Amino acid sequence: MMTYIVFILSVIFVIGFVGFSSKPSPIYGGLVLIVSGGVGCGIIMNFGGSFLGLMVFLIYLGGMLVVFGYTTAMATEQYPEVWVSNATVMGVFLLGLLMEVMLVLYVLKSEEVGVVFKFSSVGDWAIYDIGNSGVFSEEIVGVAALYSYGAWVVVVTGWSLLVGVLVILEVTRGD
Amino acid sequence: MNPLILTIILMTVFLGTMIVMASSHWLMIWIGFEMNLLAIIPILMKKYSPRAMEASTKYFLTQATASMLLMMAIIINLMHSGQWTITKVFNPTASIIMTLALAMKLGLTPFHFWVPEVTQGISLTSGLILLTWQKLAPMSILYQISPSINLNILLTMAVLSILVGGWGGLNQTQLRKIMAYSSIAHMGWMTAILVYNPTLTMLNMLIYIMMTLTMFMLFIHSSSTTTLSLSHTWNKAPLITTLILITLLSMGGLPPLSGFMPKWMIIQELTKNSSIILPTLMAIMALLNLYFYTRLTYSTSLTMFPSTNNMKMKWQFETKQITLLPPLIIASSLLLPLTPMLSILD
Repeated sequence: MMTYIVFILSVIFVIGFVGFSSKPSPIYGGLVLIVSGGVGCGIIMNFGGSFLGLMVFLIYLGGMLVVFGYTTAMATEQYPEVWVSNATVMGVFLLGLLMEVMLVLYVLKSEEVGVVFKFSSVGDWAIYDIGNSGVFSEEIVGVAALYSYGAWVVVVTGWSLLVGVLVILEVTRGD
Repeated sequence: MNPLILTIILMTVFLGTMIVMASSHWLMIWIGFEMNLLAIIPILMKKYSPRAMEASTKYFLTQATASMLLMMAIIINLMHSGQWTITKVFNPTASIIMTLALAMKLGLTPFHFWVPEVTQGISLTSGLILLTWQKLAPMSILYQISPSINLNILLTMAVLSILVGGWGGLNQTQLRKIMAYSSIAHMGWMTAILVYNPTLTMLNMLIYIMMTLTMFMLFIHSSSTTTLSLSHTWNKAPLITTLILITLLSMGGLPPLSGFMPKWMIIQELTKNSSIILPTLMAIMALLNLYFYTRLTYSTSLTMFPSTNNMKMKWQFETKQITLLPPLIIASSLLLPLTPMLSILD
């Protein structure tokens, strides 16, 4: 099982996304995002990116999702919609689950999957070798390079975040 | 809107398009598109009515979907070529998905459904920015990947766009929807020639932006959004009616006005590449566009609709400021003798 751990985590990831795409109340969407975030962190860690995985937990789950949870709790209704309370939500969720199960069976049974692009079934999902140098960890060097050679990217993303806040305030301000 | 916020947001729209046009790394291009989309939403929502909010939501949804498709195409390209530079898209799947994503951003058929509805729901100035500035970024990417675009898909979308742009605009009386269908048709002309000679795409984009700017400035000056209110401009500013006549005929592609230049060059370039049925069809379908332009000129400058007597003596309130109208008029009607100069666009 450990050789196919990335595949299993990816399947749980997609099932999580199906869970909040079928539009229950946002509280339950946030709950599923926690699960998906944790699983995504696991996927990144399996590729050797321990720093980035912990970053997902800390910033995404521990910062952004907490704020999202608080604001949703302030704005929620008395009986929020669960997956089983509404026929539409349950139908979409089951449909998504069914499609994911069929995809998993297709990947497991056939030699090669060639839907949009080709990959050789489960074999491509197992990680035999990360391909790193073994001396230093490339992902932390990448993060450091972001602040030295990639300073322009930091400027652009920082500006985008500032403008994002201004845009959201402007949109929700009303007349 | 607070003037400082408006300045920052307009600067970000400008910066987003500049980043898209000047980057050589696919990720930065995607970042530029997203920055552009994020910053134009409050501009679309300036009017603050449910109609404007619905239009901004529709715009956001379609453009975000297109950005996601673009990201998928970038990753497929990365998977097959191992690098992030924009030279040539090495994989046909990635090229097709990228072409579809950029067509969604431009408003080509079959992804044209958002253009009339979004343009109708927002104010005239926002519609101006939407139909001119927002077309620059996707067109520049199409220009850069033009050697590796699948010809069949692009030509099908182009011809269908000219058809839809012509036919869809026939039943419209709202000026913003007319301009939206005109934009769809012009995008079709531009992408039809993209694979054969991308310079002509840039020429067509230039002339189209100038003509659309002129039309929107004239509409803003007379504060008219329907054909009926446009037909009253003879009372307020008679010169505007003449300018509307000239610019609309230029948009329809009539010589000796400058709107004829891109159509002529495109048909010439297509026949040089031994396709004769296609430019014939395109020229015939451009007649549909010309029909509703001349219907607008008929109601505006050529006839006076029957109106009550008090409509014939209107009060003149303060006129809106129109930017750069004289150079735009000259650019959108008198540029045809400068056709040999298009070699500078190479």
